[in-house]
Amino acid sequence: MSYALQGSTAILHYDGLTLFSNLLTVTAENFLLKMKLLIANRGEIALRIIRTCRKLGIRTVLVYSEPDEGSLPLRFADERYPLAGSTPAETYLNIPKLINAAMETSCDTVHPGYGFLSEDERFVRTCEENDLVFIGPSSAALEKLGNKLQARRTMKESGVPVIPGSDRPLKDEDEAVRMANDIGYPVILKAVYGGGGRGMRVANSPEEARNFFRITRLESHSAFGREEVYIEKRLQNPRHVEIQAIADKRGKVVSLGERECSIQRRHQKLLEEAPSVALDGELREQLNDAAKKGLSVAGYTNAGTVEFLLEKSGEFYFLEVNKRLQVEHLVTELTTGLDIVEEQLKVASTMNLDLSQSEVHVKGWAINCRINAEDPRQNFAPSPGKVFIYHPPSGPGIRIDSALFSGCDIPECYDSLIAKLSVHGTNRSDAIRRMKVALDELEILGIPTTVLLHRDLMRDEGFIRGDFDTTYLNKVLPTLKSSINEFEKIAAVVAAVEKAKTSSIHPKCMRGPSSRWRTVARTHLMTGK
Amino acid sequence: MRSFRVQVNGNSYTVSVDQVRKGKFHATIDGATFEIEAVSELEIGAWLVNGQEETIQAHAKSLPVGRVDVWIMSMPFQTSVQVVGIGGYALTPEPQRVVSSGKISALMPGRVTSILVKEGESVAEGSPLLILEAMKMQNEIASPLSGRVKSVLVQEGASVKKDTMLIIIE
Repeated sequence: MSYALQGSTAILHYDGLTLFSNLLTVTAENFLLKMKLLIANRGEIALRIIRTCRKLGIRTVLVYSEPDEGSLPLRFADERYPLAGSTPAETYLNIPKLINAAMETSCDTVHPGYGFLSEDERFVRTCEENDLVFIGPSSAALEKLGNKLQARRTMKESGVPVIPGSDRPLKDEDEAVRMANDIGYPVILKAVYGGGGRGMRVANSPEEARNFFRITRLESHSAFGREEVYIEKRLQNPRHVEIQAIADKRGKVVSLGERECSIQRRHQKLLEEAPSVALDGELREQLNDAAKKGLSVAGYTNAGTVEFLLEKSGEFYFLEVNKRLQVEHLVTELTTGLDIVEEQLKVASTMNLDLSQSEVHVKGWAINCRINAEDPRQNFAPSPGKVFIYHPPSGPGIRIDSALFSGCDIPECYDSLIAKLSVHGTNRSDAIRRMKVALDELEILGIPTTVLLHRDLMRDEGFIRGDFDTTYLNKVLPTLKSSINEFEKIAAVVAAVEKAKTSSIHPKCMRGPSSRWRTVARTHLMTGK
Repeated sequence: MRSFRVQVNGNSYTVSVDQVRKGKFHATIDGATFEIEAVSELEIGAWLVNGQEETIQAHAKSLPVGRVDVWIMSMPFQTSVQVVGIGGYALTPEPQRVVSSGKISALMPGRVTSILVKEGESVAEGSPLLILEAMKMQNEIASPLSGRVKSVLVQEGASVKKDTMLIIIE
């Protein structure tokens, strides 16, 4: 669909028909200009959203917890609203406080970012009840994809292949073992209400199935407040490939192409790229069609991602729908040239998606490295603390999304993601070369981060060949260890040189460079002037 | 050329450093030589390390008592550095002995090139007592404690065996 304005008459081109309407005088831009947006998030994603809003002229209100009081995005929001407290439960997860913040600041729209309340049905419903536009799917669509099992059923109904497994929660341990025996080992026990890579366990035998059913149920109860568990076959060495899409209320779904996210550690993505080396024309089309169909059947609206597991044979299975703006959305922005947040705001305000599939062109190759405050030497333990020097890389095809600045604090109560370093190249090897340069230029002094891991990956032959799956990173981690040892030696060398420089043999003879000022001053002294 | 003993993460390395010109050094560790250049001399100095394969960015900051904080590609390393020798050879000192008695003996066989204290003189902890030349290196032997030189048991120019008693401080 497209439209043009002639005076007060809108000419609407829709599916080959040209409509004239005096009523349709409101354009997306008109809607956006009156929008006032509450950002219910923090850190780099809050800043990311603010950037698009400033471009569009949308006023923003950013809520913040006590530890985030000096954070970077607060410098760029139009208004700030303090949420008393420091824990997520007191602040970014507190629905009444957030709704209150939106009311008090006269916001009409809420962007949840990712994490926190971004996929929370209660939050979406509360926003709707308070006449707040929620940037994301409607509560009705969320319900259809609400939990993992529900999403699995919805996808199965729309003909999207799902992994062999149970379609409803397991009753007890006996059923878990029976189903596991039927499916064949290894199996994976999953918390129905789990998310973010948590609440999952792989069982290799009936004993483990029995045991892990119990453990997963307990873990799920404590982490998500629900104890339902279901079972699926554990695929051997699949890739993780996902389709980024955006949909509107009329059931129109546009795909923005795939992302390859197989570089993971403990089900947490560490590096993403677009497109994927694993897809060719036909398979790519199949995945796109499956994702679009699934979202359309679910009545999905706004930006969403359908995740698939892809086997070497080319078989693919539905994994999960991410019902939010994703961390790694920027690689898709680089390959499509679109601003996904802008598309989100437009589709939410006009209810219609202007973008058509034929307008989406994937160009070149993009890679994103997640820079986390985690110590690769301490088994990736979180490493909060003060960053006293931050120098972001720059140059052609380099983008960094981060809320870091020299002197900032990385609080310990939030996610460890501190920067997303993305590059765009003409092809994959060009992108890898560009990423190498960018990683070398990036300076984050003060806390250990995952920069070294990415540096190693960019030099890893398997990664360079594109020959990897979701189990790959664990296999190459020992290589990273050896590179750290090599760096330890270089650290010893630099320490010795630093010492040699500062503890010169004749320190008193070491003067600064001679200067005209000094010479004149000495002459004056000696001559008594 | 000067030698340093560097402790990093519980590992101990010997590094010999040669200054090529102002701000430029050659450093050798485990047989590998790196060319190191100072690129910024702010409070946290920036260095370029040219290894065999690639150039690596480093930062370093000197702290009190021989501690040096180092960052290699932003990865932090806490080190402690000790000067172990001035000369052509890197010297790996033996584990420090507890010399509470003030009896100073030769850590290695060598020649006493100069004696810097006289009997009856007071010395402070860390002040030089004599120079012992071993393997063409001048090794300064410092006093382990503050006190008075009770006796000097060797003469300048004397060749001594390992563990020969040299000076007694009380």
